Amino acid sequence: MRIKVLQFLLAIGFLFLALGLLNVQLIQGNKFKDLSNKNCIRLIPQMGTRGRILDCQGSIIVGNYLSYDVMILPQEVDHLDKVLISVSGILGVSPKDLKDSYKSGFIAPFAPVTIAQNIDMHKAIALEELKLDLPGLIIQPCPQRSYPYGRLACHILGYLNEIDRWRLTKLADYGYKIKDIVGFGGIEEKYDYFLHQKEGGLSVEVDHTGRLVRVLGFKPPQNGKDIQLTLDLKIQKIIEDHLIDRKGSIIVMHPYTGEIIAMASQPNFNPALFIKKSGPSISSLFNNPEAPLINRSISGLYPAGSVFKLVVATGALETGKINSAKTFFCPGSIHIGNQEFSCWGTHNQQNLREAITHSCNIFFYRTGLLLGAQLIHDYALKLGFSKATSVDLPYEAGGFVPYPLWKKIYRFKNWFDGDTANLAIGQGDLLVTPLQITRMMAVFANKGILVAPYIVKAIDGRDISHDQKKNMRLSIKEDTIDYIRQALRNVVADSGGTAGVLSSLSIPIAGKTGTAQVSRGQSHAWFAGFFPFSNPRFVICVFLEHGGPGQASCVLTKQIIETMIQEGLI
Amino acid sequence: MKSSTFIMAVITILIISIGILSIYSSTYQRDDQLWQLTYKRQIIWAILGLAIFLMMSNFNYRRLWDSTYVLYILVIFLLFLVFILGITRLGAQRWLKIIWFNFQPSEIAKLTMVIFLARYFSSKSIDDVSLLASRRGILRVLVLPFLFVAMPVGLIIKQPDLGSGSMIIFIFLAILYLSGVRTRYIIIFLLIGIVSLPLFWQILRDYQKDRLLVFLNPNMDPLGAGYTIIQSKIAIGSGGFFGKGWLRGSQSQLHFLPESHTDFIFATFAEQWGLLGSIVLLCLYYILIRQGIQIALRTHDAFGRLLAFGISLMLGIQVFINIAMNLGLAPVVGLPLPLLSYGGSSVVVTFIALGILANIDKRRAVF
Repeated sequence: MRIKVLQFLLAIGFLFLALGLLNVQLIQGNKFKDLSNKNCIRLIPQMGTRGRILDCQGSIIVGNYLSYDVMILPQEVDHLDKVLISVSGILGVSPKDLKDSYKSGFIAPFAPVTIAQNIDMHKAIALEELKLDLPGLIIQPCPQRSYPYGRLACHILGYLNEIDRWRLTKLADYGYKIKDIVGFGGIEEKYDYFLHQKEGGLSVEVDHTGRLVRVLGFKPPQNGKDIQLTLDLKIQKIIEDHLIDRKGSIIVMHPYTGEIIAMASQPNFNPALFIKKSGPSISSLFNNPEAPLINRSISGLYPAGSVFKLVVATGALETGKINSAKTFFCPGSIHIGNQEFSCWGTHNQQNLREAITHSCNIFFYRTGLLLGAQLIHDYALKLGFSKATSVDLPYEAGGFVPYPLWKKIYRFKNWFDGDTANLAIGQGDLLVTPLQITRMMAVFANKGILVAPYIVKAIDGRDISHDQKKNMRLSIKEDTIDYIRQALRNVVADSGGTAGVLSSLSIPIAGKTGTAQVSRGQSHAWFAGFFPFSNPRFVICVFLEHGGPGQASCVLTKQIIETMIQEGLI
Repeated sequence: MKSSTFIMAVITILIISIGILSIYSSTYQRDDQLWQLTYKRQIIWAILGLAIFLMMSNFNYRRLWDSTYVLYILVIFLLFLVFILGITRLGAQRWLKIIWFNFQPSEIAKLTMVIFLARYFSSKSIDDVSLLASRRGILRVLVLPFLFVAMPVGLIIKQPDLGSGSMIIFIFLAILYLSGVRTRYIIIFLLIGIVSLPLFWQILRDYQKDRLLVFLNPNMDPLGAGYTIIQSKIAIGSGGFFGKGWLRGSQSQLHFLPESHTDFIFATFAEQWGLLGSIVLLCLYYILIRQGIQIALRTHDAFGRLLAFGISLMLGIQVFINIAMNLGLAPVVGLPLPLLSYGGSSVVVTFIALGILANIDKRRAVF
């Protein structure tokens, strides 16, 4: 009985298929034959627009504009040469070039070939008028990135380019395809998932002349989400203007929240170059030994110089190796082991506060030796060195703080007192990023909080600052912080302070200079500080690669703050 | 007396030859050398398959009874292995790489589950022709076997391979029905299945949801999931009554139709050979499956009988789902058409299944 039922079902099933075939091939056969013969279904892709990038006030840093591509549908073209000659007349490109790009782009008769990209609207309209006489010509609008401020904040933004093999293998699971345009570097890369648009399109039935008969289906394209940054365009503009023609990085950060208010890196690049795909100028960007594509603020690794003395000072006070009354005598140079270590001046007898004010090397050699290399390393890690700050920008470097065991294992050498002395003044194998220095300075500005820097404030209008990494209160005594804080003020306010240049500013500022010796060329110039002193609203770090003594950075800082005061931004 | 086996062998050779012609036609337009190799590889698979068919037809199927659990564990092991070592192709992790070819364990799983279920519902004694199911309670007849089935099905659906997974469920239902399980139980099982459908929907991947929704309305996403169905229907429909002739199918050869040599080979065939060819192909499949059922009906051994039914139905369901999917009458689930689609695993497993059928036919005389 049951067997009969199953046999019956089987027979019914096959009959169902036969009827289905009858329906598709005979009853609707002519319709499908038509569709097939004329290849009547056209897919018209429609691009959404990529999300914009805004500053903290909502002004557009990166937007979109409409450009047009010229495409040819091979199977509909009667005389290819005729089409190419007409197009070349309007575009001002030789027909031979067009023919070459047509040949290299040809895939199949039904697949449109792009022969020219990014033509402006006037030419597009002129070509649109030719379309009736030239079957097979397609003018496809496609949104492009616009950069109203040119190079401004280019490292933070990143640029757009065709997906490369490495990114494709990484992103294929998220629906990215070959030839997709994706972000490279900066926000464009880190937040590509939110920014990128989804392609939609129409499937339409057309007749043999290519005229639309009816729309078969429609999938609306989806626009990318706008991303708002914590960046303040006005301040960003000021720091970039001052950094122009120099090499280095400037960061302005909020001391309590870790919001990055401005971040510049020089040399920089023009992200719009990648839209025009002008080959030689792009390859010169990649081959430039100055590495203009690198964001020095987060990816550049440099010795910290005297700014690092604050780590030693914190460690020494916290562990009680010295107290605020302890003095050392600075004769100008001392012997450690059989090597001579010198100071940049002679400072005679002085305590820690004076040593910071004058940036005395001798004092810190001695303090460093008292503290020991391992403890310096530990306090450096506590203040956020040797690991990335996990700011929401890609390719952040972690930096490095050496310690005795490391030297033993990786260099097969013993750690000497000389190494400790070098580390104590921020030289040797120590490597930091400007952002790490900024963050350390923020600890003294906000009295003990290690902030997690971030730059994206909101996605698609939704505030995500609460989702960013949390700030961390460090277990450092209030006395220690207050003591160092006052020393930092003295650096500027004291007559002999290394940043005396800044004392004439109408706003009280505190900070520390640094002159990092390098094996080749001029030294790096550091200044990191915060202002106004009693109730800080900004932490600033000015770093000039091979910029000379720390003084150079102080002068630049002064000019920046003066401009900020003039424009009423403080 | 061997007429069933003989007819089966002839039809099988006919279908696989048609398949090779179709694969050739769907790939010969491609410039790539690799594509040109496709049909040659299929010829090798077919020859290998025939050898396996002859071997299996001389291999006493009763020995499968003893090794059922070993087979079952092996299949589960392979399915786990797919998770760890499997190669991902077209978004699914279904293949294991063995030396120079890729092998799809879910194909073996289908056949193994047929053998497993046939054994589960029959007794060892050859003389005891009655089936066990009608005498047992719901636990042993429904719950326990379902758990055994759910394990590989879960693993297969997770790959994700919705087609093969649901195939095994269909086979399970059919064997439940054939082995005399009370109708009441089957209805309970179906009801539970329907009630848990919304739950199941949550587990599906986005693209699987898309495909199911697109099945209801192919124009919803004409560029994405709906594209294949639309192109496949155009290919089949434009074939008309006589077809466009071999190597003249513009749809399949100009690559409008994706997967034209695997899951959508039927559309490739139907475009070139028209309604006439399609009906002939349908008849060939029908006769093949009927032979399987005839063999089952003539067998007195309960295990052999269920096994023969199971194999015939496995082929039947697969043919049905695949062609219906080509016609846009079933959702696109990624199931090959046995003997016609390109793919070594599918071809070899089908030949093994047919070989077992031939052997059941041969042993019948013994009892």
